[in-house]
This record gives sequence, C-alpha cells and structure tokens, in this order.
Amino acid sequence: MPVRHRFVSAALGGLILLSPAAAFAHAFLKTAEPGVGAVVAQAPSQLLLTYTEGLEVRFCTVTVQGPDGAAVQAGKPQAVAGHENEMTVPVHITAPGKYTVTWHALSVDTHKTEGRFSFTISP
Amino acid sequence: MDGSGWLILRGLCRGLHLAGYFSAFGTMALATTLPRGARVPGLRRMAWGGFALALLAGAAWFWLQTAYFAAAQTSADVVNALPIVAEYTRFGLLLLGRMAALLLAALAFQLAWARVAALLALGGVLAEAWLGHGGAMAGPEGAMLLSSAVLHLAGAAIWLGALPALALALRHLPGAEAAVLARRFSPIGAACVAVLLGTAALQFLLLVGGVGALFTTAYGALAGLKLLLLGGLITLAARNKFRLTPRLPGSRAALIRAVALEAALGLVVLLAAGVLLQLEPPAMAGMAGM
Ligand SMILES: [Cu+2]
Repeated sequence: MPVRHRFVSAALGGLILLSPAAAFAHAFLKTAEPGVGAVVAQAPSQLLLTYTEGLEVRFCTVTVQGPDGAAVQAGKPQAVAGHENEMTVPVHITAPGKYTVTWHALSVDTHKTEGRFSFTISP
Repeated sequence: MDGSGWLILRGLCRGLHLAGYFSAFGTMALATTLPRGARVPGLRRMAWGGFALALLAGAAWFWLQTAYFAAAQTSADVVNALPIVAEYTRFGLLLLGRMAALLLAALAFQLAWARVAALLALGGVLAEAWLGHGGAMAGPEGAMLLSSAVLHLAGAAIWLGALPALALALRHLPGAEAAVLARRFSPIGAACVAVLLGTAALQFLLLVGGVGALFTTAYGALAGLKLLLLGGLITLAARNKFRLTPRLPGSRAALIRAVALEAALGLVVLLAAGVLLQLEPPAMAGMAGM
C-alpha cells in the first residue's frame, strides 16, 4: 500500500515538524507595548500585554513600579474586546526612568503564570 | 491554596466529576444499544447516580478552583468570588452549562428518550475539551490539540462510561440477550481503544515531547502512569473480547467480574487525568520570567 504508506510518513513528518516547543501551554507573555526592554521617548497612558493563551482578565493582576519604587498603575487590567489573549493596564507615568512590570495571569485553561519585565522612558 | 496538596485535591475532584459525568452518559448510550424489548432494572438509578457524583464532585471542584483563582485566604473570600467565576470565566460557564446539559439529559432519560439523553450528555462530555490547552491556544497546535482532546474524551466516555451499565445489564438480562449486548459492545470498545491510542500518541508528541520527560517531570510521570493503566485496561478488554464474550452465556460471571475490574481501573485513569490536567506539559513549558 504505497499511497497509504506515503500518507502516514507525511503525517508523522508533519507532527515531528510541529513538535518542537513552538507553542506554550499556559498564558505566557508574547509581546508587550511598550516592548520588553524597550527604550521609548513618550510615556504611554496604558500598557498592552499580549499572551500565548486566552486570559481570565478578572483574575489577572499587573503592577508597574517606577524608578523611585512607587506603583504607577492607575487601575486594574482591562479586557480587550475581540482579543481574548490581550489585556491593557492604565498607567500614570510622569517621570523618565526605568519601569518594572510584574504580572500574574490566569489563563482560560485554569492555570496561573507570572513574570516581570521592564522598559525605560527616556525623552 | 497554591500548594501541591491543593493541586492534587483539585485534580481528584475534576477526575471524580468526569467519572460521574462519563458514567451518566455511558449509561444513556448503552441503553440505546440494548436488544429490542430488553429491560434492565436500575439503569435510570445508575444514570442519576452518575449525575449526583458529577454534581457533588463538580461543586467541590468549583469551590477549590475559585479559591485558587482568587488566592482566597478565608471561605468568605471564596464565597465573594464564586459569582465572578460563574459569570466571567470559561471554567465557570463551562461547568455550569455542562451540568445543566446533564440534568436535562437525566430528565430525558427518565422519560425513556434514551437517544436524546445520550446526545445531550455527549455534548457536555465533549465541551470539557475547551477547558484544556488546545481550547486556550490559537494556531495549528491549538486546533490539533483541541480536536484530539474532543476525540479522546469521546473515546474515553463511550468506553469507560458504559462499563458500569454494561456490568449491570450483563447481570440482569437473560443469557441470550446478554450475549447479544456483549457482542454489540465489543467492536465499539475496540474502536474507542484505537481512538484513545491514536490521540494519546499525538498528545505524547505535542505535550510530553520525549521519553526522557516521562522520568524527569511530574507531568511525564503521570502521563506514563496513564499509559500503563491504559495498557492494563486494553489487556482486560482483549481477554473479554476474545475469550469471555465468545463463550457466553457460560462465562457470564467471569465477564461481569472482568467488566467491573475494568471500570475500577478506568476510575483510577480518570483520577490521574484530573491531576494531570492541573500540571504544565513539559513540551510546552514557558520561559521563566517572561
Ligand atoms: Cu496551562
């Protein structure tokens, strides 16, 4: 059965191509605005965090610490309509310097993750 | 509520909930394959029993999961978070919706609408897949994992879920009818085993990643345990199919014992699955700190 044989090898080959850790289980940070480690001239009014899985935003928390250690987040994370894997966080940034974002995420698969990154405001 | 003891407890509640749900569904499904005119006393009670187990274990799971979501310190914290989980999380909406479907199914079964009941309950069985990683993930891996989870749930629920009802029916039906039922169930069970093995292989590749992870991660160890138990189940099922079923009705007592043992092993598999679903699959482990 050469045809079936070829089909099976193609299917297995496809699986092996896909199997390296190209995807992440649980919600991990995919991209951020401002970006991870970015240096930006203008202070944003909110952060946009994009994850690898859908989020339960009601049970996510994000804190943003300024150069003097004070918290600058201006409210709880907000869901982004139509984008289950994104959330925004309003911030009130008045001074230049390095800002550290610490996030705790709950994904729709019921698992929790956490992480931190920083960005710098340098006008 | 973050410790590994709580994690295991959440997993065991999830496994028990699945066991109750599967057995309610499996009882309804088996009733649709009974020989014409066959009567098995106790099937309705068995369906309600499965419903009750799904409800009680589901309630405990809901409570523990809410405590975990809200990082609750006191039971008052949990009570405050319950409505938010019920209204806004996929977990809460799915669990409540699936229990409503099972209640409707049990009522339909009570009215002797076995097919309607089995279809409603099947919907609730399959919907559980959307709580897994495949349902939470976008892209081709997500779609592949989600479809394999749907098939895996269907195979497990049709096979394992029907076992308690099968044992009951084999005990109560007259010899000839019992033999007809066992011969009808035999190819269905074999098809389920094939589906379970195929989807398990795919999940092994995508989630466990390699043989090494079986020995170095908790997820791998539990997945390995599930595979071993599945091997044991298949051995039992093969003996039933090739040795005991052809010798019916003479082998009836031995077959009933073997089916009951299969059901007990199946329960252990589901408890392991419940805990496994709380853990991070090693092949898709995230980067620390990102
Ligand atoms: Cu996860």
